[in-house]
Order: sequence, then structure tokens, then C-alpha cells
Amino acid sequence: MPEVRIIAKNFMDMVASMPAMKLDKLYENGFICEAILRSLPPLGKKYVLQLLHIDVPVAAKLLEEWVLPDGYTKHRVAIDRLVQLRVFVEAVDRKNDKTYKLNPTFQKSLQKLLVHGGTLPREPMPSNITVRLPTLDDLEAYALQQWECFLLQLISSSLVEKPSNISSSLMKVFQRRLLSQRDKEAPKLTESGFQFLLMETNAQLWYIIREYISNSEERGVDAADLISFMLELSFHVIGEAYNINSLTDFQRSIIRDLADLGLVKLQQGRKESWFIPTKLATNLSVSLADSSSRKEGFVVVETNFRVYAYSTSRLHCEILRLFSKVEYQLPNLIVGAITKESLYNAFENGITAEQIISFLQQNAHPRVADRTPTVPENVTDQIRLWESDLNRVEMTEAYYYDEFPSRDVFEGACDTAREWNGLLWEDSKKMHMVVKTGVHTYVREYLRSQK
Amino acid sequence: MGQHGHGDKGRPFKKFKPSNKFEDSSKRGFDDDDVYGGDDAHDEDDGKVKDFSKLELKPDHLNRPLWACGNGRIFLETFSPLYKQAYDFLIAIAEPVCRPESMHEYNLTPHSLYAAVSVGLETETIISVLNKLSKTKLPKEMISFIHDSTANYGKVKLVLKKNRYFIESPFPEVLKTLLKDEVISRARITSEGTNGDGFTISKAAGEIEGRHDELLNEAEVAAAAEEKETHAFEINPSQVENVKQRCLPNALNYPMLEEYDFRNDTVNPDLDMELKPQAQPRPYQEKSLSKMFGNGRARSGIIVLPCGAGKSLVGVSAASRIKKSCLCLATNAVSVDQWAFQFKLWSTIREENICRFTSDSKERFRGNARVVVTTYNMVAFGGKRSEESEKIIEEIRNREWGLLLMDEVHVVPAHMFRKVISITKSHCKLGLTATLVREDERITDLNFLIGPKLYEANWLDLVKGGFIANVQCAEVWCPMTREFFAEYLKKENSKKRQALYVMNPNKFRACEFLINYHERARGDKIIVFADNLFALTEYAMKLRKPMIYGATSHVERTKILQAFKTSKDVNTVFLSKVGDNSIDIPEANVIIQISSHAGSRRQEAQRLGRILRAKGKLQDRMAGGKEEYNAFFYSLVSTDTQEMYYSTKRQQFLIDQGYSFKVITSLPPPDEGPRLSYHHLDDQLALLSKVLSAGDDAVGLEQLEEDTDEIALRHARRSQGSMSAMSGAKGMVYMEYSTGKGKAPVKSKPKDPSKRHHLFRKRFG
Repeated sequence: MPEVRIIAKNFMDMVASMPAMKLDKLYENGFICEAILRSLPPLGKKYVLQLLHIDVPVAAKLLEEWVLPDGYTKHRVAIDRLVQLRVFVEAVDRKNDKTYKLNPTFQKSLQKLLVHGGTLPREPMPSNITVRLPTLDDLEAYALQQWECFLLQLISSSLVEKPSNISSSLMKVFQRRLLSQRDKEAPKLTESGFQFLLMETNAQLWYIIREYISNSEERGVDAADLISFMLELSFHVIGEAYNINSLTDFQRSIIRDLADLGLVKLQQGRKESWFIPTKLATNLSVSLADSSSRKEGFVVVETNFRVYAYSTSRLHCEILRLFSKVEYQLPNLIVGAITKESLYNAFENGITAEQIISFLQQNAHPRVADRTPTVPENVTDQIRLWESDLNRVEMTEAYYYDEFPSRDVFEGACDTAREWNGLLWEDSKKMHMVVKTGVHTYVREYLRSQK
Repeated sequence: MGQHGHGDKGRPFKKFKPSNKFEDSSKRGFDDDDVYGGDDAHDEDDGKVKDFSKLELKPDHLNRPLWACGNGRIFLETFSPLYKQAYDFLIAIAEPVCRPESMHEYNLTPHSLYAAVSVGLETETIISVLNKLSKTKLPKEMISFIHDSTANYGKVKLVLKKNRYFIESPFPEVLKTLLKDEVISRARITSEGTNGDGFTISKAAGEIEGRHDELLNEAEVAAAAEEKETHAFEINPSQVENVKQRCLPNALNYPMLEEYDFRNDTVNPDLDMELKPQAQPRPYQEKSLSKMFGNGRARSGIIVLPCGAGKSLVGVSAASRIKKSCLCLATNAVSVDQWAFQFKLWSTIREENICRFTSDSKERFRGNARVVVTTYNMVAFGGKRSEESEKIIEEIRNREWGLLLMDEVHVVPAHMFRKVISITKSHCKLGLTATLVREDERITDLNFLIGPKLYEANWLDLVKGGFIANVQCAEVWCPMTREFFAEYLKKENSKKRQALYVMNPNKFRACEFLINYHERARGDKIIVFADNLFALTEYAMKLRKPMIYGATSHVERTKILQAFKTSKDVNTVFLSKVGDNSIDIPEANVIIQISSHAGSRRQEAQRLGRILRAKGKLQDRMAGGKEEYNAFFYSLVSTDTQEMYYSTKRQQFLIDQGYSFKVITSLPPPDEGPRLSYHHLDDQLALLSKVLSAGDDAVGLEQLEEDTDEIALRHARRSQGSMSAMSGAKGMVYMEYSTGKGKAPVKSKPKDPSKRHHLFRKRFG
């Protein structure tokens, strides 16, 4: 099974991996501190709040005394995380004991936030200026559509009629590990690319955002600025309009990218223009594990291996095509069949049986989602059996020898191959043998020496 | 006609031709004309996506249950609140392709529309109801297809009234067209008291059924209920067959519907029989009868019900409604006995009014109305008969039968049908079957020889209703032993291949294990099926179980079946393919299939049918709200052999009905060891040499006289080549590997065995 190389865990992991200097700079922003606080494990949150107004270092031992013996592991996890995020600053006191202290920048920002409340640098615009704002449903549909359009363009630019404004150089960055291109051929999805498509939207978003941020320095953008803007964005209210003029130059330069990804919707009034954050933006500060806002599934798999997907999306169609044979496209339904051929195709592209099954399970239509199993057992069994069937035969490149001049030479050659651990097969009666390619040179040398 | 819509990409429809299709197919000999869910039911001729995404969705599409595509394919959501009505309607107008749990697929075909018209649905009703149910606007192609297909069908009826034959139609212009034909005009009998055209005009009652009307608005209902004027002319009784022939699709193309106005038949004597009060037809049996007797007359046609769902009660009910002489045709002597028994069980018919006519029992009958039960062979037999039989046949020939009741119509070869139908004069023909699947693709003949399909039940719905057993189907993969596989691969053993994979010791052990398990742990009654006689004998002898095959005498069969039914010591019986049809073994609830007839979908369904009869009371079986599996169907296949390929093909029919086959890869459990036979290599090798030393004839298939379908199957097997395009399991073409290291291939075990076999985990748990 190929190693899953795409990891998209948490925004905060990315924050944690930033250099100390940058982190301290980030913590000047109260919203980031709040986002960090939210992302902490429960015990971690408690420690931060308890130490919030203590200005002196606290002995590690003291903290340990707060926990019951069976809570020690949780305690360790919380402390490690706090230190990793530089929320806690570790030090050693005179008695050579370990102490912890809140990061002063973080502490100050959080104190301020608690006292003055969280005020965004900008207010929603009054509704008399912003006419025809989209409803929340419309906005969500818009966000998903943008995202899909982006994904389609990502896997093949020929699939979209109206390509987004994302620069081709930025697109190349996103495609870096998902597509591979040989010379003049059309780019092909890599194993990671296939796996990426089968991931759920939030996970995909994380992956793309991570690529966006990690590449920012090359584009002359400060990663810390980027992160802080994105986290700030996640505290905006979905569906409200915010004036573009309230953005800094830097922020204004990237808001278009974010619109192309579906994080915000841009609108223009008579004089003013504004951006409206979508669900995708506000989900950024939520960690992946607790993104309970799973969208409704759309796939029904039947015992006869037929797949019915309630979807109008080209993208879904493309995804289904990865492992099934699409037969019908109706206005709001895609009909396909999982066949041995279609699966072998998928396996060849590096998709595993488990990924296909979990895609089908995670996206099960509400009609079948509460049925157990959501995907018929005979189908999942068969997908696994077909996969394991492929692993029955192992290919080894080899050389075949016959017409040995004498039995001695034949046996000598066999011994040579055996010594190098490369004898695959021998028929001593007819004096035939097969050796691994790697051993061929040694056997040839031996045979030459016998002439 | 001829001019009709094309697909989005301008491709002509494959099976979406108007009625001139019949002319084509008669030229081609029907060979690619399997409209009843055969090989090309899932066929995607060129593998391209059929794009109907441009169809316009109606604003309230969520409340409507189906999508209709321009090429005739219809998709139905089973969870729609309108499902029941939509299902009843679709089954009347379209052929089911597959009917699993959530989504059904149907095909609109000329045949299915013929059937729709013949049960009284009119073109405009079909279109408007379909339009009401459809999520999208109906594609133009579909509307014109319905128009084209129904233009001629159902316009003309052949009615036998007071023993005079009339050609009847609501459209006088159609009758005029017919009369232009020389044969028909010569057959006409002109009488007095007719109008200008010379047609008799009468009022016929509209459909009393009106099930679909609830979907129409009131005005339309009123129109449908209105009495219709019909025009008719009389024809000479001796010319009936010729006239019918002229009306067939390959000639004038106005196929005639046959209806029997039995209430007004004063010439043929009535038969005194009623359904007994305890014979309560179930809802679906009622529904099938209502299709047959929808307008107060008896229509000819075919009713499709799964085995065990009570086909015989439908047959007996039909006979008791018509109350005239009835000729009942079965496939063999055992089932003749069973039919005679069913008549006595369900109806008040007097003992002396039932006669059986088989080679063993020739009960003479004379005079009044009777029920005669016999076999197709007895009637169609072409050779010299005994004097006694000749007299009986003469009697059958001369009599005018009220009802010709034909069991298992899918098994009987078409030419035999023709013969039987030409020998017997009947007013109404009713065909019964469980599976309208024929490997010889000649099913279309039935449409015109008997009549359209009147009703087809949904297996899964019957399971849910508790009318038939809830069967767990499993395919048990038995790896070939090393020695057997080596012999299997040798060219010189090509004729012994079947024997080798059937006698595979691992298969034997799996079979023995399953028998032990079901007999001891669950107290089940088991049938083991083997087509291969050599294997049948070996297995039965080794395991000391009784067996029945072609050569077993009637007396012997009855004795064994009786013991199986009543004795506590006889819980397993081995059957050759004689047991596929008609042998009624209601006690059995487990089937183990160790060898089978190549890729026959029908055989698989027939065999499953042996255990479909629901046992016990419904509430007992529904303990805990969800019915547990109460019957088991195991198909044992040797991996890496031809059998794998056949088995996926065989299962297709059942899979389309919504059944699923669970794959079991590790039977018997490893800890069974020496408790089962052939544990030691020596025993296995002894078995192998026995197989190899047996003559090629001895290890071949059993040949039964009546099984003419066999030849057809071989033909079908040769000609079909597009396996890969099918859905799921159907596309599974099994490949044979040899590892080259002289090591027998080992089937890799599933990753998590505890996950795999909930079936067995539960049992051993």
C-alpha cells in the first residue's frame, strides 16, 4: 500500500512549526490568541486561563499537583502542546526546577481581548449600502461551487469553461505534488493527486492553504501576515459584508485569491466594494477533527455494484470516474457501475481499495447513511478481494538459460546463482534455469570462465 | 414510423426502435433480442456516457420518483412516497433491468409497451402518467417512441364469443386495413344487421381496474371510465390460426390480443369448481389475477412470480374463475402429481374431474368439463404412441379448452410450444414462470405464442412482505489443491476439467462442513445440487446421503422425497439437475451447489427457488423487528478455474433482483482438520486417480431428454463476448494464473477475517 503522503491535520500545526520570532509577532493579534486558545486540548485551555494573570514563573511541579494521577497523560499532552506553540515559555529556576510562564505577548493580547472584548479591525457595512447580499444558502452554494471550479481547474484546466483568476504560477504550486507532467503529454494525476480528490472538502482546503502559505515567502509575502489575516478572517461573521477599503494593501492583494478559492465572495456596489466571508473561511480556525459540519452525502451504492450519485457536479463525476464506469448523466444524478476493469484502473493509479470504500462510506446519501453497512458488504468485500487478487502475482525480471554444455556447468551455474541468492527456478532434468536479472552478470562471468 | 428521434450525440438507439424492429428481428432470428434483462440489459454499446443532463428538471422534482431517459431507460427511487404507484405502473409498461434496494432500472421496449397496451393502458395514459411521475420533462424521443410502439398494438382483439370468433377493434379504419389482406377477407363471415361498413357495433365495458387513474386528474378519469364503442367482424373458426398469423408483426403488424368472454360462453359446459374459503390469495396474487381478468374477460398472457411465491394458487384461481375445461401442462411427471394435488388442495373440484396423463398414469376422461394435467412432452410427442395414449391425445385435440395453463414456460423450447399450441384449441392461455430468462434468447416468441407479460413481482418486496424466505446467498471460494490444479492445467485433461474442479478435495471438505453444520447445529434440511453425475455419486456415496438423478425411477424418487420430508434421519438429499424444476421440496431451507450448468442464470434462480417458500409464521420469523436469514444458498466454486467465470455470470439474474452474494474465502475452518474427509494427502491422491481413470463420458454432464435448452445455452455462450462491459460482478472475468514455481496458488486471505464472515462469526461466536 502506498504511503499516504498528503497530511492535512490542522492549521495550528502549521502555526506551531513557525520560528519563535514569527510566532511572537503573530501573538500581537488578539484573534490569533483566541484561535490558538480554542484549538488547545481542554486541560491546556484551563492552564492558560489560570496563568493568565500571573506574571511570575510557576514551577512545573506545582502544575503537576493540580492533576489527578490518572490524568497525567492528558497533562503531558497539554503541556507539550503549549510549549510547542510557545504559549508557555519554559525556564529553569534557581533550584534547577523547571518552570512555566505564559508568553508575555500572548498574555498581553489575551488579557486585552478579555477586557475589551474582541473587536475586529472592521465593522460590517450597513445594509442600506450593501444591497442584494446573498442568503446564507446561496453563499454556501457559491463557496462550494468556487471550490469545485478551483479543483476542476487544478486537475485539468480543460475541464472548466470559465477559469478563475488564480495565476498559472500559483496554480503550478498547488499542482506540484498532485500532477505530474512528462514532456508534452497532458499532465496526469499522481497517486497523491488521486488521494487528494477522494479527501473531504475541509481536508482538501487545508492542503491547499498549507501549500499557499508555505509558498508565500517565494512570492514575497510574509507567512505570518498571511496566517494572521486568515485567522482574523475566520472571526468575521458569515454572510456579512465588509468594506474592501478596510483592508491593508497586503490583504487586498490576496483577497482575490481567497475569493477564487471560495473563502470570500466579492461584490461591488455603486461606490464601495466589499467582501463576504463564507463558511470555508470561518472553518479555518476550527481543527479538522472537530469539523462536525459535514456536508450531506450523495452516493448510493447498490448490491449489484451500481453507483447512483445525486449530484450535478462535474467534479463528482470526475471523482467517480476514478474508480467506476460512468454510464448515465441525468440532470441531477450520475449513474455508474463499479466493474473489475474500473477498479483495476484505480488500483493502477495508486488508489487503494480502502480509499475507495471510505469515500463511498463518507459520502453516503442520507437515505442509506443510517443503514449498516452504508455500502453493501458484498461490494466492499469484492473491492478488497479484487485488490488482493492483484497482489497474488509478483513480477521479477529474470534471465532464462538453457543448452548448457554439460551437467557440471549447469550445476556450477546454479550454485553461482544460488550463492548470490538469485536462483528463481531450475529444472535439473532438462537443465534449464531462471535467475534474477541482478545475478545475470555473475552467472555470465562464471559461464565465460568455464569456456 | 421509421422516423424517430436520436440520442444527443446523434447515435441511433440500439433497442429503441419503433415497431419495425420486429421485422428486423425476424430476419435475424431474434438472436440479439434479449429484452428481458439478458446479456445486453446493462449493455453500454460503445462505452460512452449517455448524457441526458440537459433534460429540464421540474421545480418539484424532489416529490417525483423517476427519471426517464431518451433511450428508454427509466430510473426509479424506491424511497419515494409514490414508489408503490410508480412501481405498479412501471411494471406494466417497462421491463425491469435491475431491482435492488434503493434504485430500480427499467427499459421501455416495444414488447413491454405491447404488454401495457394489452392490459388496457392507452398511449395517452402511458405518456401522461409517466410525465406526472417524472422528475424531468419527458424527452421528446420517449414520447414519440411510445406513440410509435403503441400505434398498432392492442388495437385489434380476437374474441371468442358464444363460440363465434370475432375480430374486434375500437377503430373501424384498422379493421378496414386488415380486410384488405386477402387471407383475412376470405376468412370473414358476413352476416346481416350490420352498419355501413359491415361491422357490428357494441359497447364494451371500460377497464374496471383503474389503478393508475389516481395519478390522473378527474377529467382524464372520466374519459377512461367512459364506455367505448367497438367494431367487429366475424371470422371463420377454421381460419383463426391463419388470420392470427397474418396479424403478426412480421406481416400486417397488428398483433391480436386474445380475450375470452367466458361468462357468455354457453357452448362449453361449466366445470363445477370454486376456490376453497381457506385459499386466500395474497395481495400480489390478487394483483396478477386482476391484470388477467381486468375487464371481465380472461386475457392470455404470462405471470411471473418467484418460485415459492404461490404460482399454483394463481393457476388454480384462474381456472376456478373461468370454470371451464382446463388443460394444465407441466414439465415432468412429479410436477404433474403436484399440480393435481394443488387443484384438490385449493379448489372444491371433485376428485373424478381431475385426470392425470403421464407415461405412468393414463387416466381416461370423457364427456363433461375436466381438469387434465399432463406434461409438454406427452402432448408434443411426435413418435408412435400406445393405443391408449393415442385415444387420450385425440380427446385433448378435439376438445375446446377454456384455459390452457402452462407451468414453467421459460424451460420449454419454442418449437415444442408451437406444437402444443397448435394441437390444443384453447380460449385463453396462461403461462406461469419464475424467471423470464432464457439463455437461448427466444423469450420474445412467448410474447406472441402465449401473450404479453401480465404481471411480474418484485422479489425483494415479497421478501420484505414475508411471503418468500429471506435467503443469505454466499459464494464459497475453495482453492484447488496443488495436485488437482496441476492436472487441471494439463491439456490432455481438458475433458475432465469439470470433474477436477468439482472433485477438488477442498470443495468436498467445504461441502461436508456445511452439511454437518446445518444438520447438527441448526437442524436444517439441505439439498445438494450437482450437475456432474460422477461428482454427485462420489459425494453422495462418501457422505452416505440419498441421491436422485435422471435415471432414478418415479417410485424411488417419491420414496426418497417422502423420507426427506418426514424422517428425522434424512436431512440431506443430493439432486442432479432433475431437481432444478418442479420437484417441490418445501421442507428444504439450505442449498449447497457443488456443480452447475455453465453460466445459466436461469438455473441459479430456479435452484434458489427451491428454498424460497417461506416457512413458519411471519411473526415468528420477524423476531426483533428485522427478519433474520432463514434460508441459505451456498455456491461452492474452485478458485482459479472456469467455475469462477461461470459463477459470476450465473448470479447476474439474482443480483439484478436485489440479492447479493457474500464471498466466503476460508471454509472449512482450519481447526476442522481430520474431522472432515480427504484430510490426508493420500486420500486426496486416491480421489485424484479415481477422477483421472474414469472415462471422459463418465465425468461429463448428465444429459436429460427434456433439456433442449442445453444446446441453446452452448450457442449463447459462444456468441456472447462482451462480458467486460457489464456491471460489477458481471464484469469479473476470472483469470487463471500459474505461478511458475510449481507452487499451487494460494488465495490471499482477507485482511480481517473476523470482519469478513459475520455469517460464520455469528455461528461460532
